[in-house]
Amino acid sequence: MTGESQAGARRTRDRRDRGTSSLLRAERRTAYGLLLPTFIILAIIAAYPFGRVVYSSLTNAKFASSQPTSFVGLDNYRTLLSFTIRELPARRDDAGQVVRQDGRVQYESAVSVLPRSPQRYRQVFQFGLLGKRYVLGAISADFIRAVWDTVVFTVIAVALETVLGMVIALALASNFRGRGLMRAAMLVPWAVITVVSARIWEWMLQPTRAGLFNALGSYLGLSDGRTDFFGNPTLQLPSMIMMDVWKTTPFMALLLLAGLSTIPSEYAEAAKVDGAGVVRRFFGITLPLLTPTLAVALIFRTLDSLRVFDIFQVVLGNQRYSMASFAQDMLISRRDMGLSSAASVTIFVIIFVFAILYVRSMKVDTQ
Amino acid sequence: MRKILILALAAVALAAAQAQTVVTVATGAVGQELELSRAAAARYMALHPDVTVNVLETPDLTDNRQALYLQMFEAQSSDVDVFQIDVIWPGDMAEHFVDLYDYGAREVADQHFPAIIENNTVDGHLVGIPWFTDAGLLYYRTDLLAKYGFAGPPATWSELTSMAKTIQDGERAGGNPDFWGFVFQGNSYEGLTCDALEWVSSFGGGSIVSPAGVITINNPKAVAALETAASWVGTIAPNGVTSFDEESARNMFQAGNAAFMRNWPYAYSLGNASDSVIAGKFDVSPLPAGPDGSPAATLGGWQLAVSKYSKNPAAAADVALFFASYDEQKIRAVEGSYNPTVMALYQDKDVLAAVPFFGSLYDVFINAVARPSTATAPDYAAVSRAFYTGVHSVMTGQATAADAVAEIEADIEDVTGFPTGQP
Repeated sequence: MTGESQAGARRTRDRRDRGTSSLLRAERRTAYGLLLPTFIILAIIAAYPFGRVVYSSLTNAKFASSQPTSFVGLDNYRTLLSFTIRELPARRDDAGQVVRQDGRVQYESAVSVLPRSPQRYRQVFQFGLLGKRYVLGAISADFIRAVWDTVVFTVIAVALETVLGMVIALALASNFRGRGLMRAAMLVPWAVITVVSARIWEWMLQPTRAGLFNALGSYLGLSDGRTDFFGNPTLQLPSMIMMDVWKTTPFMALLLLAGLSTIPSEYAEAAKVDGAGVVRRFFGITLPLLTPTLAVALIFRTLDSLRVFDIFQVVLGNQRYSMASFAQDMLISRRDMGLSSAASVTIFVIIFVFAILYVRSMKVDTQ
Repeated sequence: MRKILILALAAVALAAAQAQTVVTVATGAVGQELELSRAAAARYMALHPDVTVNVLETPDLTDNRQALYLQMFEAQSSDVDVFQIDVIWPGDMAEHFVDLYDYGAREVADQHFPAIIENNTVDGHLVGIPWFTDAGLLYYRTDLLAKYGFAGPPATWSELTSMAKTIQDGERAGGNPDFWGFVFQGNSYEGLTCDALEWVSSFGGGSIVSPAGVITINNPKAVAALETAASWVGTIAPNGVTSFDEESARNMFQAGNAAFMRNWPYAYSLGNASDSVIAGKFDVSPLPAGPDGSPAATLGGWQLAVSKYSKNPAAAADVALFFASYDEQKIRAVEGSYNPTVMALYQDKDVLAAVPFFGSLYDVFINAVARPSTATAPDYAAVSRAFYTGVHSVMTGQATAADAVAEIEADIEDVTGFPTGQP
């Protein structure tokens, strides 16, 4: 719906409302009355705690301390979100020549170019552009990195879960013996407590041949049996994604399976009579009819995945953070409740943005 | 008549239940800690039938344990009465504990090492009674050293590197492809601060922040120490060592898959247990020294503190003092090789028979290097985090040692506002 037609619809509705009977108004009052308990409960369990977090994000509160706190305005947000891009000069020797090593230009260390005061900027990452080298610095480099990592983790994991979940759902939707058993078995990973499954994966991914993956890898001659899945920075996110896909694909499959069962089989049969192949039937009939279910499933998974905490905390600890495990670490090791709250509010905003994007792009709200 | 009897019995049972005081002790579960604490609790309950002592298991990683404790303090929870606290925490957590001097600790305090009592005293209050002390040690395989013709444990890190390489190459050629030269605590957590402080200090690179409050980490000797340590990863130490904690290192060493290990004393009695494949085949020595430094061992150790939010602080304090008493520390020393904090136990015949190195390495324990928790209180946790994150980035090859120490220096400057200087 365009903005104009929405406005038009509202005008028509308003005109209609003015002419409504007293009966309708009485019904509306009853409806609000019935909704009131829900609003009160929401206010207590959601609005109040959220308000507290927003409030403490504007203070310098220290966690588990009786130290007096004061109001610091938006300082915590400034600390969290400030970033800068600086060009890195090439390193020069005493004669003013550019230092090269193996033919590659060496650059000054990022510490020397990033601002130091009033607050220090740390390197998030470096990148090359048009033959020059730049560094992205942030006051809370860990947080910027955590946001980036969490978004990458979410996009890849949810995409894989959707595709695999769809395949499983389509397979389980067909009629075959033992379908009930298969449906139940499929849910096992989802039923395991995340902390437990994270530990199981930690053991399977051990950096020695005591771990299943390294044992298999060395047995099949694919690796030296010493791959460090959790210590090697390039393997950390893929390992996390693998664990998450294993764990939550069943959830995706279950939701899609429910959606599939609502599509009448007559449509597919009719298309079959008209000569449509399997692929055509899937993209022409099943997928469009499944879109509302898919949208709900995607929203669930994406929002859930953006606030991922447990697997990062259990497996990577302080090595690498998700947005949520960063907020927890700020609370514990820095005992900085203000900054931690500000991080939580920022996570909330990011998730909110994702939710709106989804609702808009998948048109969930239209009938 | 029978009914009355039953009623009477029920009344007695009810009265007994009401009189029961419950004291919950939060302890660690590394190695034998949990079993030893449960046994101690049973002994206390045998002496005091009116008290029930529950032992609560807490996470292995110091940092996770701290997270749990802080959440309880924030909620002012009375669920736990006695907390096992790290040697670096008294300054940061003092406000949540009672003064044990108010509960009879004054008579026993002078039995313990004065330095630890001083560490646990904040503004004149004794916030924790010392339970056991720790210092980093080098564990080495006596049988393998003999097999490859080495006379004794390495005195310097470069000796350790070459010995580890020789043994590792030999053992791998001899049919054990999973063998490594050296294991230690390389994960990004407080344990890495302990290990890395030993490297830096033994190279003559200072103790991160000096006791006078000067940030000294950015110096060439510290850089050399970190470069040496980073060179071990993937050569004499497994690549995965950058995600090892105490127990990962011990598991590997105790399975017979490592020649050297840096660990705390607790691994000694476990390594000599009857089901251990290396029982009787290893010994401990002080950690090696750097090129122009002397050996350094990080001071560790744990105290028992009584929560201010406890419903029965008197009973809780009594349990804490019982756990930390001469007799109980003796049992822990003999059965679990936990270093006593009661000085007299280092002359005790039974203790020395069970754990001979308590006598021979006495100097290591009393000269251990303290982490800069006093100088940086109440910001020690943030200082340590800056240090171990920086060191970890060097170990995983993400940063050069020189860049990392500059970063660490600047990070600690931000947290504490201290001046910088050379050690």
